[in-house]
Amino acid sequence: MFNLIFSDLYSFIYAGFYNGIYLNLGSNNMVIDYLIVIFSSIIMALILKIPLLPPNRYSFVNSALFPTPIIAVGLLSIFFILGYYFAYNGMLLSLIIGISSALFVKYLFYYVFPSPNNGDDVI
Amino acid sequence: MNEIIGIIIAIIICWFNFVIIDTYFGLPEQPGVEGARNVGESISQRDGDISGGFFQGNILCSPDASAGTLLASIGYMIMGIPGGLLAGFFVFIGNRLCADPGYAGSLGSFTITFIIYLTGFIGFRPEMFVCGMVIAILTIQGISQPKASRLLGGIARKFNRQSKE
Repeated sequence: MFNLIFSDLYSFIYAGFYNGIYLNLGSNNMVIDYLIVIFSSIIMALILKIPLLPPNRYSFVNSALFPTPIIAVGLLSIFFILGYYFAYNGMLLSLIIGISSALFVKYLFYYVFPSPNNGDDVI
Repeated sequence: MNEIIGIIIAIIICWFNFVIIDTYFGLPEQPGVEGARNVGESISQRDGDISGGFFQGNILCSPDASAGTLLASIGYMIMGIPGGLLAGFFVFIGNRLCADPGYAGSLGSFTITFIIYLTGFIGFRPEMFVCGMVIAILTIQGISQPKASRLLGGIARKFNRQSKE
């Protein structure tokens, strides 16, 4: 397992120097996968009645545009870095991660990342 | 591209990236935690600007767009575009652990990932941005804090984000 991870890591390091070559976007549809994960997470969050925008610049309230796509993109990136694409060039994985990250933001987020002072801003 | 020229241009790009994003999301307006307030008042007593002092205290006390820019450059260097986006996710987790909503950090990571991708076509390499971001942070925090705070306070007044205190 470690051999697999290290060989992948070295290939990514090599590819990082020549990022134009690594970004073979046509073959693995990375742009389409990221677009699917972003839009599916936002749409699923709106279906779950999470508000679209946060009320102000200092609020800890979750919204469909701020933490949901960030979490979805980060989780999808972990799978891509480990080289796991599942079916349909990663599109099915993107859809599953988008929907599940919206569910996470709706039901589990404050349990994992509690906001300070019961939701009030600090100071 | 020549490495020295690339690093110098990367310093300028990184500096504007994190200063503009941090100022827009209101770091000079108020300290997020008590430590940031202490840093800002200490800089203000040393003939500095209170808005710039709060800015410096906030980027010291939680990972904002400055840390996001640095970590996304490192992630892009070792893992390509997914590395930069993953750095944004980790910066968001770090923000929430530091009692910070995390808008500036994640957005800074994503913008610098996009910028590195675009400038990769004209010969920039991610290592130049790592080096450039370290030097850009040095100009803010390392050389002269009161002078840097006066500059940052001036930028904050241009954006109408100055401290009300």
